[in-house]
Amino acid sequence: MNSPSASLSLAAHLVLLSSISFGGFPSVLPDVHNFVTANGWLSDQEFANIFAVSQVVPGPNMILMMSFVGLKVGGIPGAIASAFATFGPPCLMYYTAHRLWDRFRDLPWPQILRRGLAPLTIGLVIAGGYVMARAADTGWPSAAVTAAAVGLMLATRLSPLWILIAGGALGGLGLL
Amino acid sequence: MSQAVEASIPGERVTLAALFIGFLKVSLLGFGGGLVWARRIVVDQQRWMDDPEFAEILTLCQFMPGPNIVGITLCVGSRLRGAIGAITAVAGFILVPWIVGLSFGGLLLQYAHLPVLQKALGGLSAAAAGLMIATGIRLLMPHRTRRTALLFAALAFTGMVFVKLPLLVVLLGLAPVSIAVARIASARAP
Repeated sequence: MNSPSASLSLAAHLVLLSSISFGGFPSVLPDVHNFVTANGWLSDQEFANIFAVSQVVPGPNMILMMSFVGLKVGGIPGAIASAFATFGPPCLMYYTAHRLWDRFRDLPWPQILRRGLAPLTIGLVIAGGYVMARAADTGWPSAAVTAAAVGLMLATRLSPLWILIAGGALGGLGLL
Repeated sequence: MSQAVEASIPGERVTLAALFIGFLKVSLLGFGGGLVWARRIVVDQQRWMDDPEFAEILTLCQFMPGPNIVGITLCVGSRLRGAIGAITAVAGFILVPWIVGLSFGGLLLQYAHLPVLQKALGGLSAAAAGLMIATGIRLLMPHRTRRTALLFAALAFTGMVFVKLPLLVVLLGLAPVSIAVARIASARAP
């Protein structure tokens, strides 16, 4: 599995995805999930584990998540390649856009672009959550945890950290 | 007022070390919500820029691809110290947390086959997926009165989840139509 060509094709795919990841990296999760499971690099469960671990380490967690995928596919070099593929292309775009911003900030089209893209990115973020819920799904108790997390996040001001810990504790106690 | 303007003049040099450490903090503290900490450190604590300036960077970053928080980091660094500042700020945000996170997370994943850890990770993953769905729903709320926006959100969801199309196909297929609709809607608006 630790083949350099697998790492390269993963990195190439991530370069493409990060360049179009409007709405942040959650929106590309379904695509990454399909890509790595179709190639047989990771199982559903491994992908869900990586997702879980990257949520409990502080820092840039989507970059870390893609690095864990790279680590699994091609060791440390794979992890480094995946990290650069994840933040490199967007950084170049941010830098260019920031330089040009003064020229197009008052034009109407950035506003229109944003209004047009926003619904798509929102649909993609929800799709990301749905796909991850399916990957972690081991029956109705885990589906209930997902539903409860949605409810608590929307209805209370509870820190997301507590919701994550509660989910992990319920699982660790063997209740799921 | 004049102070706010002064703070944004590049002549008043912010050191690269301060940039690196500032964004290292944003990264390590920014559990789940990096944006909150980015504003707190950049605007409130370090006074590197004022709120309108920060808001403008946020607006720019929101319609760009990629992790928005990395974009904000890069733009603040670039605004204060140019290209080298951008690289320093991004390095501060990513480098140390990446090494720590990869080592710690890698260790956890080594033992992921243990039943207890496997189940704990499963529960965590289910909860984290819920948080992501909730975030999406929150973002959708301001658009709930725009029927076309709901339709396009639903189409993007369906294309990814049920049809399992590649992201590129979904975006190339839907974005032009969605932007055209937004264009027509804004032309009609007074």
